[in-house]
Amino acid sequence: MMQAVMVKADDVQDLLESAVDKMQGMGAEFSDARSQTIRVTGVSTTNGDLRQLVQKSTGGVCLRAWSGGRWGYGTATSFSKEDIDRAAAEAVRNAAGDGRSDLVLEPATVKSHRKADVKIHPDSVSLEEKIQAALDLDKAQAIDDRVLNRVGAYSEEIKDVCMSNSAGSDISWQEVRTLCRAMSVAAEGQRMERYYDGPDSTLGFEVVRDADIEEIGRVTAKEAIATLAADRAPSGNLTVISDPMVSGLLAHEAMGHASEGDEITKKRSFLTGAVGRKVASEVISMYDDGTVRGAHGSIPFDDEGTPSSCTTIIKDGVYQGYMHSLETAAVLGCRPTGNGRAENYGKRTWVRMTNTFFGPGEWDRDELIADTKDGILCDKMINGMEDPVGGCFEAKCLRGYLIRNGEIVKPLQSFTLTGRSVDILSSADALTKEVILDGGMCGKGIEDWVRVSSGGPYMRARMIVGGGQ
Amino acid sequence: MIHEAAERALRAVSKYPQCEAYASSATVHTVYIDNSKISNIETKRDDGLMVRMIDGERQGKASVSLCRDSSVDDCVRMAESVLKFSPSTPNMNGYALPGKARHAMPDVWDKKVEEITPDELREIARAVIDSCRVNIPRAQIRVSTHDCVTMNGNGVDCSHRSTLVYGHFTSMAVRDHPGEGMETYHGTHLDLDPAAIGEALSRKAEAAAVCTEFKGHEKLSMILPPSELGDMITSSVGSAIDGENVKYGTSLWKESVGQQVASKELTMIEDPTARAPLSCVFDDEGTPTERRPVIENGVLRGFNRDSFCGGSTGNGMRRSSVEAQGAYERTPVIKPLNLGIVPGRYSREDIIEQTDSGILVEKFAWPEADELTGRFGLNVRCGYVIKRGEIIATVNNALLMGNMIDAVANVEMIGNDPKHMGVVSVPTMSFSGTELVGNRRWRRCSTAIWRWPWSLWWRWYAASRAST
Repeated sequence: MMQAVMVKADDVQDLLESAVDKMQGMGAEFSDARSQTIRVTGVSTTNGDLRQLVQKSTGGVCLRAWSGGRWGYGTATSFSKEDIDRAAAEAVRNAAGDGRSDLVLEPATVKSHRKADVKIHPDSVSLEEKIQAALDLDKAQAIDDRVLNRVGAYSEEIKDVCMSNSAGSDISWQEVRTLCRAMSVAAEGQRMERYYDGPDSTLGFEVVRDADIEEIGRVTAKEAIATLAADRAPSGNLTVISDPMVSGLLAHEAMGHASEGDEITKKRSFLTGAVGRKVASEVISMYDDGTVRGAHGSIPFDDEGTPSSCTTIIKDGVYQGYMHSLETAAVLGCRPTGNGRAENYGKRTWVRMTNTFFGPGEWDRDELIADTKDGILCDKMINGMEDPVGGCFEAKCLRGYLIRNGEIVKPLQSFTLTGRSVDILSSADALTKEVILDGGMCGKGIEDWVRVSSGGPYMRARMIVGGGQ
Repeated sequence: MIHEAAERALRAVSKYPQCEAYASSATVHTVYIDNSKISNIETKRDDGLMVRMIDGERQGKASVSLCRDSSVDDCVRMAESVLKFSPSTPNMNGYALPGKARHAMPDVWDKKVEEITPDELREIARAVIDSCRVNIPRAQIRVSTHDCVTMNGNGVDCSHRSTLVYGHFTSMAVRDHPGEGMETYHGTHLDLDPAAIGEALSRKAEAAAVCTEFKGHEKLSMILPPSELGDMITSSVGSAIDGENVKYGTSLWKESVGQQVASKELTMIEDPTARAPLSCVFDDEGTPTERRPVIENGVLRGFNRDSFCGGSTGNGMRRSSVEAQGAYERTPVIKPLNLGIVPGRYSREDIIEQTDSGILVEKFAWPEADELTGRFGLNVRCGYVIKRGEIIATVNNALLMGNMIDAVANVEMIGNDPKHMGVVSVPTMSFSGTELVGNRRWRRCSTAIWRWPWSLWWRWYAASRAST
């Protein structure tokens, strides 16, 4: 069992309050102090070999001072008063704005201390059982000689946060994330293909105990083998049915990044000034909701201490509003939405998504396929890239199926989707009833990774498709 | 501090047949630009430790940030608890054996970085803003010092110091529509040229703002400048020469040593002796590094290996080429140190003039090939369509499709303008056999950009890139 390496919350809270007082005393208009300890257990196996088995513990304090319309940051990597006070002074010095800012931040004053909402806390489970979960996932994939490479992985992250700010907030909370993954690489001659599956969540070890590990491993291997027979996807402007993962990628990349408040204040987003405008067909509604129980991107508070919330981004095709941090909310005269997030105590806080997804429609999946004369059905995503400036996006799909006359006729190897976001969403004409979320990591630009999820129902729309050779 | 931590940790685990302590320390200053204004300045310190041990067929491993007096003991205790529950893994290789340095310390420490103040960093950012005639919506300049020490029970005891300078800049202009430009800087020294960066950002955003949507579907040559080629080479060739992928059979070149895998014009050298972000005398496991060919005239000469794979070539790395923080948290993985494509004789103007039908990609959404298969289908954010040696249009919103492992066997021309991009150093190159697909049928555009004096423009472009 992992040894808990953390400072008692009461001790830290006093240090944070003292640092905030120091920053205010040095002239900060607003300041906050946030301590984090992050404990990670990671296990991964490859072909039965234990490739990774590691426990990590990192801890530190982020000090922020707002002065003259600028943020200054200081980071302490020890919990000593001396180090925290040194970082607090650095934060004020780094802000060093010219005079007072016209912009007044309006943080909520929150006093709350929350535990993680889990049934089986990972701390209560032996390391043996966690290792066995990864090994079982690995072993379950050994169904055929063509499975060249089997990976089984388990990981957990336990993040403890304490926070204090000059508005009088006194907050602490714990976030727990548990994940397991199977990944198979199948080979035949020089051809290699892969497939992956497995649950992720902000729940506890019940995610692993409730999962059918054997079935996840076996299906992952079977699907990797099936992909060996996949053809190259056709290219051009085609009808595409995105699965929930790819729908989520569209929500995240096509509209989500462009709805982040800082992109609006900089007028970098094609959605600047779009509130009230029709940006999609009426079947489309879209949300960012950090309160979805168990979803990978859920957070009780953001890294500025604002309680998480649900932001309606699109309702019945009409654009509704943006996600905000303290700063962007103040600039645009809105309420903060709980989207000010940072990768960790050593990284900047800015507007980030949580769980971003399209709302449901009224179709069944089979009904949707049967109604499609010619098209492509997507099956899982690889990754994607936003384009808030140009209003386009890029989504890489792991594989798909060709649909002819309402029937699936053959599997397709990996391909890429692109197009103008508004054109694609305006062409959407059918969504299925069930919304599924899938967890992942989101970088903004090129780094600053935070945990998110995205999803939606199956969705039919027109977009540009191109298959790699 | 990190030497003491590593020594103490190694003493505590010296009872195990194989043991290792790695500690790192970083100081990072970052300035952020938002909307052509300096928005944030950060100062960060980061000290940490990783302990590993092998006992028979079991292994233990843990890492901590050195945030309190008990951190070293905590780390050892956590690693021992992992060891206790670790299942048997047969045929595990031990940690690095001590070896003699095979070359002198490369020039990877810049005193100016060590001594920089937040005010000086602010001035550099201000100079970039002042020299850019369009908006800079988002940018950052990060300068870091990094110290690390590796010790193990076999007698390895080595340390490394380097500085890291990383810049990422975006620009935005509105002409026919909004357009975005991007520049990056990867290096060890504070020799980035703010004026050149500002100029390049202006030019790229202005070009992107007059792009027209590509329509149609055609086969053509792909010309990639270093900014777009670097990650394509890292994800494809870097993956195919990765010893762990060879070990587990997922490298497309696993049985190709001594065989022709690329065009005869292509030679790639792993050169940790040159000034580059990851250049070093010993890798992060303590194995000596050396300059060696990986591909010679298209023939594969060998793979990159670490101690996990056995027969280490000194490519077991924890450090990142862009981020000094957190090295101690990472288990060593195989990484090129400074994998360079030997430059050719062509200028970019030559390459354009000798291309019958092609696209020069100024900016992909994200340049990347599939690590397993080499396939790519990438959104072109800004590209120049070339017909009979002339640029005839600037296009966007199209997908460029191909396979990077095939592409290195179909090299047409290699440029003479190498640049560092992370762990690789690459020039502009052209490759045959790719396809471009867009929305419906393509028509020539008639924007003013056609009438630009392109040959002059390229010389200016090359000069502006020289410092980056």
